[in-house]
Amino acid sequence: MSTRRLRTVLLVGMAAVLLAVWAFPVLWALLTSFKSERDVLAYPPGLIFEPTLRNYRDVMFGPSSLLPNLWSSTVVAGASTLLTLLFAVPAAYALARLQFPGRRASGFYVLATQMLPPVGLIIPYYLVLQKVGGLDTYAGLVVIYLTFSLPFAIWLMVSYFEDVPQEMEEAALLDRAGRMRALWYVILPQVRGGIAVTTIFVFLNAWNEFLFAVVLGGNRVRPVTVAMFNFISVEQTLWAKLAAGAMLAMAPVIVLGLLAQRHIVKGLTVGAVKGGGRR
Amino acid sequence: MTTTADNAPGAARHGRVGMRGIVKRHGSLTVLHGIDLDIEPGEFFALLGPSGSGKTTTLRILAGLEPLNEGRVMLDGQDVTQREPGERDVAMVFQSYALYPHMTVYDNIAFPLRMVATPKSDVDRAVRDAAALVHIDRLLDRRPGQLSGGQQQRCALARAIVRKPRLFLLDEPLSNLDAKLRLETRVELRKLQRTLGVTTVYVTHDQEEAMTIADRVAVFMEGRIAQVGRPLDIFARPASTVVAGFLGSPPMNLLPAVVRDGVVRVSGVDVSIGRPAGADGPVTLGVRPSALRIADAGIPARVYLVEDLGDSTIVDLDVAGQIVKLRTDQRVGVREGDSVHVAFAGDAAHLFDGATGLRRSG
Amino acid sequence: MKPTSGARGERRFALLLFAPAFCALVLTTTVPLVYLVWTSLMRVDLSMPWLRGFAGVDNYVKMGVDPRFWNSLWLTLVYTTSTVALQVVVGLSLALLVLRIPRGQAALRIAAILPIVLAPVVVGLFWRTLVLSPDVGLVDVVTRALGFGSHNWLGDPQLALISVIAIHTWQWTPFAFLVLLASLSALPPDVFEAARIDRAGAWQRFRHITLPLIRPAIVIVVIMRTMIALSAFAAIFAATGGGPGTATEILNLYAYRTSFSELNLGYGASLAVVLLAITLGVSLVMFGVRRAR
Repeated sequence: MSTRRLRTVLLVGMAAVLLAVWAFPVLWALLTSFKSERDVLAYPPGLIFEPTLRNYRDVMFGPSSLLPNLWSSTVVAGASTLLTLLFAVPAAYALARLQFPGRRASGFYVLATQMLPPVGLIIPYYLVLQKVGGLDTYAGLVVIYLTFSLPFAIWLMVSYFEDVPQEMEEAALLDRAGRMRALWYVILPQVRGGIAVTTIFVFLNAWNEFLFAVVLGGNRVRPVTVAMFNFISVEQTLWAKLAAGAMLAMAPVIVLGLLAQRHIVKGLTVGAVKGGGRR
Repeated sequence: MTTTADNAPGAARHGRVGMRGIVKRHGSLTVLHGIDLDIEPGEFFALLGPSGSGKTTTLRILAGLEPLNEGRVMLDGQDVTQREPGERDVAMVFQSYALYPHMTVYDNIAFPLRMVATPKSDVDRAVRDAAALVHIDRLLDRRPGQLSGGQQQRCALARAIVRKPRLFLLDEPLSNLDAKLRLETRVELRKLQRTLGVTTVYVTHDQEEAMTIADRVAVFMEGRIAQVGRPLDIFARPASTVVAGFLGSPPMNLLPAVVRDGVVRVSGVDVSIGRPAGADGPVTLGVRPSALRIADAGIPARVYLVEDLGDSTIVDLDVAGQIVKLRTDQRVGVREGDSVHVAFAGDAAHLFDGATGLRRSG
Repeated sequence: MKPTSGARGERRFALLLFAPAFCALVLTTTVPLVYLVWTSLMRVDLSMPWLRGFAGVDNYVKMGVDPRFWNSLWLTLVYTTSTVALQVVVGLSLALLVLRIPRGQAALRIAAILPIVLAPVVVGLFWRTLVLSPDVGLVDVVTRALGFGSHNWLGDPQLALISVIAIHTWQWTPFAFLVLLASLSALPPDVFEAARIDRAGAWQRFRHITLPLIRPAIVIVVIMRTMIALSAFAAIFAATGGGPGTATEILNLYAYRTSFSELNLGYGASLAVVLLAITLGVSLVMFGVRRAR
């Protein structure tokens, strides 16, 4: 019995170590955000210190406030999520359930567009947006974000639509609902969970996007990811402030992640099984 | 609400089905080889056959859920082949019931009425009447997930009957129920159909079910209709060895035999069938297990297995290498390994052509 | 097939539903792609605008003899293969571990979600400042306490590559962990019981039963993580910017720097095209391998 016990202890120990490896950096940053800059540079770094809210105050209300950036992120991520769903959900239904010419090819096309590396796309985006005056605009950025969220959202939703039994649609058709109403009243309610998961992932991806935001945004449209990046050059060694800023910038996605963790895990495995996906 | 007098069988005026030359292919595979069917208004018509025989495909073509390659579908004299499922005034109960899980029972039943903008008061009355007919009127607020299998099935039925369609299609509706419930529901279904008088097409692989419940049966085999007729007629005179071997429990015994000089010869023994045997040549002799008996003279056999079922006994007999089953209510005094003779009454014998399997006249 | 009016209606309906997304995709991916290839055939240098003109395959020829290009190619290879291998190995090990501890799973799931939901750029910043800083960073504190001394984790060219690999692996191993855990949990227990009765030891059960049964999941994870690793940008950019010098300049970053720091968009475009070709090639190979199995 004791070897069994020993093994359990060992396993738990290893698991705890790994848990620490992953959770700790974030917790450490959280801790740091409440320290004064002097405490941050202290060695050995202590767990006991006098907490201060100064960093958060600076980061929210100071001259380099992150609040306008949070607003930018919200608008861009929110709008692009909405737009993505609007396009992706019907398209996914068509791919999953309906017959139309070129259906197979279209499926491959959607899959292929996920393979494009973003770096390859920003160059033409930059040149084109520059020409039409779309740089540093919300509209420009939101439309460009479709690049990576649309294929992913379509692919996720296809797998959810495929899980709806075909007979349900047939019953609705026989009940004289017609295709549009069958979709709206019968099918869509069935994939509510799938839509929720897709929304979460699309929003997460959009909120965390950096490359497109930094190249195609500017002074007016500056999501938190870009703002954080600028922090590093400006606030060189004000790490407590940096930590507070990062916490603020990431608060929405962390909260979303914790609240929707089951959905996220389900979405990851569904996305993995069906192949493709950005994350 | 129509009265039962209006819906007495035969009084139905619509729901006449005609299928002509229906061919369906799936890639290079032909699923239906030219189906012709005529169903009278108000009839309870069963499509019977083993899995993959094409009966469900035929039903779905009738519903408009599957396209066909050749042929026509007629409803009440109109060609509906091109019409959408919703435009045929046909209702269907799926094998899985296909209830809308996110709606209450009430909303499920009301759905087809709402889809054609029926006034609210009419909807309410129709839903409650339909629910009462199938005895689920107290479950209207529940969701399908909260119902038992039998209740779900009745909810699906209510949804089908609520709009008083001219044709009911039922796809193996009892196969998901346990045996006892199946028997009870079978009877209820039959009574319901009689009350409503709606033409009903019923798909099943259970031949006992088809035999007891239907006015007429079409036996499907490998994408073709092997025989159409009233259950008793089919049972008494199966049109081919294929049909004969499918019906009955246990099914009819089929023995290779030969006609020589007008006499049927089985296993080296001449047997009398009480009527002219027809031309010389190879034949198949069909005798039901219940028509066989152990006698002093007849076809030689060896007892292979005795199964005592309590109220009846089935004896498996080895006749020249083939297992033949005998069924009797009485006690048999034989044991495994015994050598015996089997005999049967001449008019209980069925004779099928050895090459085509079709019934020889008689 | 004799179409019903329904079949035609279905087609119309389907195209109606699919067309908007299709148009959006063509607009945002295919059209820019064409434009990218076109740009790669031009001489577009914003720092020397008078040089603008058609260049043909000049950019590609130049690439062939550009040592910085080959360096970035090499780094991409090392980076991608290392991080994917590590993710799978660590993720699988952790998943196997966690299987035996049903109670800890909830906590580990939360811990696993945190890295995944963070923005890669923020992760890069975290690591650059709080984790990898000499003297005060988490890692340095640990190495000093263990007697390995202090190091310039991001400033030393060799250590920098290891560091960025570590960052990417840290962020994305949880993904592999969660997927493989789900896959392992879904394995039918009776197969293992049968193996036990057949006297197979733990390692044998793992090698002959577990591994083959989760191979599809592993393959998917490898494919997905490879695609992401090839296009990983933000974290490295935030942590090292590609430096020191070009020590962590994977092809991705080289294309970016060429286009937006040195403003040589033509050459940058050609680099991006090469990266795209590599990504497509790798994905074709991987999907081919997957189908072959």
